[in-house]
Amino acid sequence: MWKKLHNKYRYSLILLRELVRFDFKIKYQDSILGYIWSVMKPLFMFTILYVVFIKILHVGEGIKHWPVALLAGIVLWQFFLDVTNGTIKSIVNNGGLLRKIKFPRYIIVVANTISAFITLAINSIVILLFAIFNQVEPSWGIILVIPLVIELFVVALGVALFLSAVYVRFRDIQYIWDVISQALFYGSAIIFPISLLAHFTNHWLVSVALANPIAQIVQDVRHLAISHDVPSLWTVGNGNPWLYLPPIAICIVIFFFGAWYFKSRSPYFAEDV
Amino acid sequence: MKSGIAVSIKNVVKDFHLPHEKEDSLKLKVLNHFKKNTRIGHDTYHALRGINIDIKKGEFIGILGRNGAGKSTLLKIIAEIYQPTSGSISVHGKLVPFIELGVGFNPNLSGRDNVYLNGAMLGFSRKEVDEMYDSIVEFAELKQFMDQKLKNYSSGMQVRLAFSMAIRADGDILLLDEVLAVGDSAFKKKCYDYFDYLKEKKKTIIFVTHSMAQVEKYCTRAVLIEKGKVTIDGNPSEVTSAYNNLFES
Repeated sequence: MWKKLHNKYRYSLILLRELVRFDFKIKYQDSILGYIWSVMKPLFMFTILYVVFIKILHVGEGIKHWPVALLAGIVLWQFFLDVTNGTIKSIVNNGGLLRKIKFPRYIIVVANTISAFITLAINSIVILLFAIFNQVEPSWGIILVIPLVIELFVVALGVALFLSAVYVRFRDIQYIWDVISQALFYGSAIIFPISLLAHFTNHWLVSVALANPIAQIVQDVRHLAISHDVPSLWTVGNGNPWLYLPPIAICIVIFFFGAWYFKSRSPYFAEDV
Repeated sequence: MKSGIAVSIKNVVKDFHLPHEKEDSLKLKVLNHFKKNTRIGHDTYHALRGINIDIKKGEFIGILGRNGAGKSTLLKIIAEIYQPTSGSISVHGKLVPFIELGVGFNPNLSGRDNVYLNGAMLGFSRKEVDEMYDSIVEFAELKQFMDQKLKNYSSGMQVRLAFSMAIRADGDILLLDEVLAVGDSAFKKKCYDYFDYLKEKKKTIIFVTHSMAQVEKYCTRAVLIEKGKVTIDGNPSEVTSAYNNLFES
């Protein structure tokens, strides 16, 4: 059975590997610092936010290691944004290719997602260095970051599949997505601690906000790997595991809906682009 | 599976819906929805109107027709790039389409990288390309240019590289869409040698072209397509003379 599966996806895997490889090569050729830029980008953003929010507005005071948690949030968000914004035009941009050869169309989207994931992996090393420098105490909870990153990967891929397929026929989606992603950025409490929200409202509302998978993932990673002072869905809900059902269900629904929509539209990409 | 048949094309119809104005944005969609009476119309363009062709294994079939007759659309439907509006296609064997040479070639990558990328498009793993790399380069006569970016190649050089890759693809059925349009006579000779080789190997070839000489030289059968329909299906000399008559009347 393994062999049958392997034969079925052999072509997809070969193509995926080469597309990821050359995507990276093209992205950074002709730039002097190359790969370093993918690390510098979130670092610059971090520096700006650090000065504005931490040094001037004193957001996150009293939360241990908040700057590291801030950086981790930015890096995770940047991954989500790289995947979704980077993929939205990918089907249209590869129109020439689609009209000349038959290959599984989703490869284009998956290749983009994997490229972004590699950048995330590189950036994680920077977070690790920051954490060591800030003397963040290591804990076993850090192992749970792995399923959380998988969850983020799945939801990002689902959104990307949907957006790239819609964009073929409906170019407005990029502007709509710009607005939605802005709202999501603030709604997911990337640049401020979610405890700020808890100050103004009750815990019940915070757990509603955490039904958004992006918020849940970012806060969980912060809580588990960096600082127990950052509330997560687990602490807000007093350890009620059922509260994890909504964000995980949303994540799975987004993925399958995105994949289904993409699959149903993909036979017509060649003539629609 | 019917034995002896390589590609079976049954009642294939392909319509393209062409909006008068491209209706890509929300505003236009909404406007058009409300302005039902003055709605911007769609033209339906019937590219293929019921094509029936059975291609036997080992046939070298030429597809002829004027520009816009539907030849390339048919080829793309056989290659499963387009979906037929109705009708069906069944393909028995591994099909390799050459709708264009050098699929996936990227001008910003070196010749070497493009060999690997195009190889992947054709279904070759990195290891398989490694093994054939030297002979591809040798055949293309581009040894000293492989580390240069493709955008610095002349168009002849690009075609040579693409062709050297293409002939590596090992299929049972090959779709060729006027790939011989470019190149000097030395290169053309290589192409003809390749055609002879394909014929010798009893591969099934579907060949779209405007060159009557090539049809008469290589094809065992030819079809003429006019306005999305097969008008003549028979031996090459019969079909080429019918094709030439199209331009005389």
